[in-house]
This record gives sequence, structure tokens and C-alpha cells, in this order.
Amino acid sequence: MKKVITAIVALVIVGLMAFGYMSASRHAAEGHETKLDPKEVIFEHLGDAYGWEVPFSHHYRIPLPIIVRDNGGSWHCFLSSRLADGQEYDGFKIATEGEHKGKVVSTDGSRPLDFSITKNAFGIFIAAILVILMVFSIKRWYKKHGMKAPRKGTALLEVVVDFVYTDTIRPIMGREAPKYAPYLLTVFFFILTMNLLGLIVIFPGGANLTGNLAVTLVLAVCTFLVTNLTGTKEYWKEIFWPDVPVALKCPLPLMPIIEIFGIFTKPIALMIRLFANMMGGHMVVIVFILLIFIFGANSLAVGVGTSVFSLAFSLFMLLLDTLVSFIQAYVFTILSTMFISMAHVKHHVQVAVDKE
Amino acid sequence: MELFKPEFGLVFWMFVAFLCLYFILAKFAWPFIIKSMEQRADLIDKGVAYAQQAKANLDNAKAEADKVIAEARNQQAEILREAAKMKTQIIEEAKATASAEAQKVSEAAQVSIEQARRESEKQLKEEVSELALQIAEKILRANMRSDAAQKELVNKLLNEVETKN
Repeated sequence: MKKVITAIVALVIVGLMAFGYMSASRHAAEGHETKLDPKEVIFEHLGDAYGWEVPFSHHYRIPLPIIVRDNGGSWHCFLSSRLADGQEYDGFKIATEGEHKGKVVSTDGSRPLDFSITKNAFGIFIAAILVILMVFSIKRWYKKHGMKAPRKGTALLEVVVDFVYTDTIRPIMGREAPKYAPYLLTVFFFILTMNLLGLIVIFPGGANLTGNLAVTLVLAVCTFLVTNLTGTKEYWKEIFWPDVPVALKCPLPLMPIIEIFGIFTKPIALMIRLFANMMGGHMVVIVFILLIFIFGANSLAVGVGTSVFSLAFSLFMLLLDTLVSFIQAYVFTILSTMFISMAHVKHHVQVAVDKE
Repeated sequence: MELFKPEFGLVFWMFVAFLCLYFILAKFAWPFIIKSMEQRADLIDKGVAYAQQAKANLDNAKAEADKVIAEARNQQAEILREAAKMKTQIIEEAKATASAEAQKVSEAAQVSIEQARRESEKQLKEEVSELALQIAEKILRANMRSDAAQKELVNKLLNEVETKN
């Protein structure tokens, strides 16, 4: 049985590879892709887009709504399929070069206010809906079965909730845990779902969500706001008048300046860490796959040889990214927890700070 | 580079999506889930404590039962011993009473035998004396047939009376 499955998987992989070569060579022959530009391919895959690509097609995109406000102040809303292949519609087009390359611009080249539901925005909505479904499935279980232990998928989710809440948030936050747990748990599940969706290559996934600075920026800003808006008097006192020798803060407010910098560097570190980890993982996988085509351009044999290597490495990287998805979601949550709990110091205690 | 420049539209949608997600989950899901989880943890803890208590009770009960059984055995042995003792005592007593009774009966018998013997003796004596009297009469009659003899006797008796006086 095991051998049969292995054989089938191997056959499917070989078949897909052959298919990929066929279509790639046909494109080369038709002159669509005369030269492979690795950098462009990488950034195309990591970046945002106005449509969602589907497997085996270079042209068809799942159309998504474009919502823009032109310089005159009027709103325009249409599907991204209207702008496919460089078409113009309603006075807009997708720029092919220049500063706004790949973005919707007016025909005169200026950038309108762009509220489009792009691939990433749509991916965020999908992730949010998935999180809602997952979390409400746990709730439904408790409603229906009361004290019985959950089974199957719900049990897995409950273990994760238990791990994050009981083993992380509660020991750090103590009595205040129930107040901030909803925010932290939401952050954890949202990031985890987005991370894992980013690893799936076809439709519901494939958007590089947490590897996009805009997404991590919003999350970091939320943690920043929660931390500083709920901070106690003691917290602010420690920033502006910390417990250090007077010389360090009186004529020249050295420590306060450092502390104020600290307020901002903490969320920025959160933002950059998540972004860089996820983007880096995706980039390595894409580079490994691209190696096949770079070497395959020279000769078919070298390409086939490389593909075995590359597939093995990219598979390994994807597995590693699965782990990293979890770890980064957890790290973001635990650091947010610590920042928030540090803003709630009641009296002067030396808290071990993990600034990394 | 496009990747390092957060796009405003995406920031906006992300913010909206995240806030909606947060408010929905924070209002309808998380507090309930956390409460339920804690309640279940409590329940399990309590269940374990209860089970331990029950087990201890059971062990105690076993010891208690053993003790009671041992006590009962002791009591039983005691009672048996008592019964045996009582039995021998009763037998002893019965024996003593019986022998006393036998004694009495035999004494009474002796007394009556004695009486009977005396009576018979007395009777015998009477019969013998009567017989002796008859014999003496006969002898006397035979001796007193002659007048001389009668006179002699009278004389003799008279002499006797005279000497007596």
C-alpha cells in the first residue's frame, strides 16, 4: 500500500514537471517569455496584484474589484479584468513602468487614492473569515457539548488556544489576562492563519500576507496602541523619570530619550520580525524553484537534474516555513503580551525584558 | 522597492478586517471559550480530587471492615469458649445435684430399712416373749400339778416377800 502511494506521488510529480516544461518551452517558442528575469518573478510573487492567478495559466486572473478615487474626488469601481493586458478603462490603467509600476494609475500617470480589494486585501478577508469559522467552531462545541472534551479539529484548535492562553498569556498577565486575552488570541490566530495561507500555492492561499509590510504594520500599530493607551501612571513615570541616578536624567534627559525610543522600537521590531521571517521563507522557496528554470534554459538535462534538488530543498523549506509560521505567530503574541503587561506595572519591580 | 513601501489601501483594508475580526471574536467568542475552558479545567481538577478522596475512603472502609470482621471473630471465639465453659459447669452442677439427690434417697432408704428392722425386731421380741410365756405356763402347769409343789412355791414366795420387807 505504502509503495503504491509513493509510486503514485512520484508519477504525479514527474507528470507535473513534464507539463511545466512543455508549457514553458511553448511560451519560449512563442516568444512571450524571451528572457527570464528572476528578480521580477520573485517580486511579482511576493508583491500584491489586482487579480488572483490560477494554476497553469499565465493570462487568466480571478478578477477582483478595483476601487479608486481620482484626483477630481469622484469614485470609480470596476473589476480588475477590465485592465488586463494593459487595457485602459474609465481613464485608468495599470502602469507598466515608472514609480508606480504594477499599480493602477490615471492615464496621465498620476496615482489615484487606491482602495482596491487587491489580492492581499482579499486574502486578508479570507483569513479573517477562516479565523471566525475556526473560533466559532470551538464556541459551538462548548455550547453544544458543555464540559465534554472536544474531538478532532476542535480538539486541535482547543490545544492551541490552551497553549496560548493558559501557558503564555495567563502566566505573564496574571489577573489581567482575561481582559487582554481576546486581543492577543485574535492576533495569534489571525497571524497563524495568514502565515499558513501564504504557504498554500493555489487560490485561497498564495497571497504573501504576513510577508507584506502593510499587514504587519497594522498589527504592530494595534499592539502599540493597546500598550500605550492602557499604560499605568507607573509606566509613564518609568519612561519620563526612571529610577536611575539623577545625572542620567536631569540636565540632559538621556534615559527618558532612550525610553521614548524604546516605546517605538518595540512595535517596529515586531513589525519587521514577522515581515522579514515570512518574506524570507517565501523568497527562498521561490528562488529554489527558479533555479530549475535558470539552469533549464541552458539544457533540459541540467534542468531535470536541478529540479530534483530544488524540489527537495523547496519542500524542506516549506516544511520549515510551516514551523516558522507557528513560531512567528507565537513570538508576535508573546512579545505583545509582555509589552502590554510591562505597561501595567503596579509598583516598581524589575521585570526581565526580552527585547531580543 | 514596492515590497518595503506599505500600500495605503492595503493598510486600510487590513485595519478594517482586523478590527472587525477583533470586535466579533472579543464580543461573541473568546470570553465564552476562555470561561468554558477554565470551568472544564476546574471540573477536571475537582474530579481528580474527588476520585482521590473516594479512593482513600474506600481504602479506609476496607480497613474498617477488616477490623470489624476481626472483632466479630474474637467475639465469636469468646462466646464459644464461654459456652463450653458453661456446658461443663452445668454438667458439673447436674452431677453434683444428682449425687446429692442419690445420697438423700439412699439415706432415706436406710432409715426406712432401719425402722423396718426395728419393727420386725420388736415383733420378733413380742412373739418370742409370748412364746416364752406360753412355754413357761406349760412348764409351770406341768410343775404345779402336785399340791406339795404348790405349797412349796407359795411358801417360797411368801419368804421372798418377807425378806423383801
